[in-house]
Amino acid sequence: MKCMHTKLPDLLAKIQAAGKKLRPETKVTINGLENIKTAKFASLRLGRLEEEIIEITEDPEITEVVVEAVPFDPEIIYTSVAKGYTADGRCKIAILDDMAGSIPTVEHHLIDAEVVDDRRSAGHKQTQF
Amino acid sequence: MKLKYRLLPIGGIDGAMPLNWVFIDRKDIANAALTEYEAVKVIAEEFKDSAAAVDILDTDCVSVSSDGIMNPIAVTAIASVDHGMINNTYGYMPLSPIPEYEGIYEDEPHMRQWHLPQFKGKELHKGPNAKDRGGERLSHNETMTLTGRIANNNCGSEAFDLVNMTEILIFMSAANEIMRDGEVIVKVAGPEVSVGIGMVVSERWGRIFGGTNLGGYKAGMSAHNSGVYAKTVKSDYPAVAAPKEKFMALMLDALDTGLIVGRHLGSSPALLMTAYYYGAPIDLEHISDRAWIELESIGITKELLSKPVKPYTREEMIAHAEEIIPGMKDAKRYKVSEIVEIREAEVKRETIA
Repeated sequence: MKCMHTKLPDLLAKIQAAGKKLRPETKVTINGLENIKTAKFASLRLGRLEEEIIEITEDPEITEVVVEAVPFDPEIIYTSVAKGYTADGRCKIAILDDMAGSIPTVEHHLIDAEVVDDRRSAGHKQTQF
Repeated sequence: MKLKYRLLPIGGIDGAMPLNWVFIDRKDIANAALTEYEAVKVIAEEFKDSAAAVDILDTDCVSVSSDGIMNPIAVTAIASVDHGMINNTYGYMPLSPIPEYEGIYEDEPHMRQWHLPQFKGKELHKGPNAKDRGGERLSHNETMTLTGRIANNNCGSEAFDLVNMTEILIFMSAANEIMRDGEVIVKVAGPEVSVGIGMVVSERWGRIFGGTNLGGYKAGMSAHNSGVYAKTVKSDYPAVAAPKEKFMALMLDALDTGLIVGRHLGSSPALLMTAYYYGAPIDLEHISDRAWIELESIGITKELLSKPVKPYTREEMIAHAEEIIPGMKDAKRYKVSEIVEIREAEVKRETIA
């Protein structure tokens, strides 16, 4: 079972479906995965998220679910690939370099939450409440 | 029990402050019978509806600026707090004392300033050791804490709001003034400061470059290593510095020990021009070609520094500090008491439990 991984489009569809399962009119928004075009995600983790979304929508006052995907490491490091193409589509050169940034940590997404229920695994618990 | 702290509030210094920045004296933490981390928890509780960068400082310790000048103050821990929260992995970082290890004066010649009477025997704090950084953090090239929107970088001398994407520099010499109720100057950092902050010395557990090895950048080289772009890196951001005559006195103390700019001390515009007018030696040949590109982009050339000049005395140097030290010309000068709020936070047992 540990080898099972879900395709990115299926993950996005399952999150939408989970949010709309109890009430199809529920608005579901997913932020943070926009620039990932192809990926495989751990299926068991996705299952937990689906159940959590359904649990949230069990509250009849909930009309919208927002899922924020926040990188665990806020000191993001990318490899930049600057590529030069000719008119006929040949990539003549690719120059690699480092690109480093700092992004808001997960706490930024908790400011307006009335209740925070931290179910992350012990090694991933970051927030001091 | 109460914890005293100093606050440069968001919108303060005539609108220059883009975020809240808290400064806590280690002695005030001891007076409140707290650990440094507990003090940060108390401050987080104070900022339940906003965010702040937090520096813990000790005026009985010493530290070193990026170009190698020893300062009579040290940051002993940094933190970021946001709406009462501290990120467990990234939100707090102690900066442990650094021992006088065997070979330190050969490997880090700028550390000879530690023998000066005003610094001798004082505890040294610069950057974090491996334990300070914590096991969960991944490798990165900056020594910062992060919680929510606040990043407190370079061991407490530069802080960002990651949502508004604003930033401010508070140099160690300015933190020293803030903790001693002195004076500071404030202006947009500009090209000279931008070039200057890249001209580092090689050191172990440095405030900018950490770790047990001496790193790849030596005195005379630029850690920015970005040619004509270096002068733009901080040119639009506000900077808080010590009045130039005080900054000048620290540099003259370093030069009086025989340390040579470009060989032992970083080739920052401030140090180069100070050494030039003071008649102190500069190792022009040891300054790298890449560093010269950055220096020439702000008008400091080998030819300029080779022209004969009648050296100023120490008193003349201090009197002419405003003209000699490049950058932040005609900055606005403030008494710290005009811009810093001194506050007291209630220490609640449940906050630090």
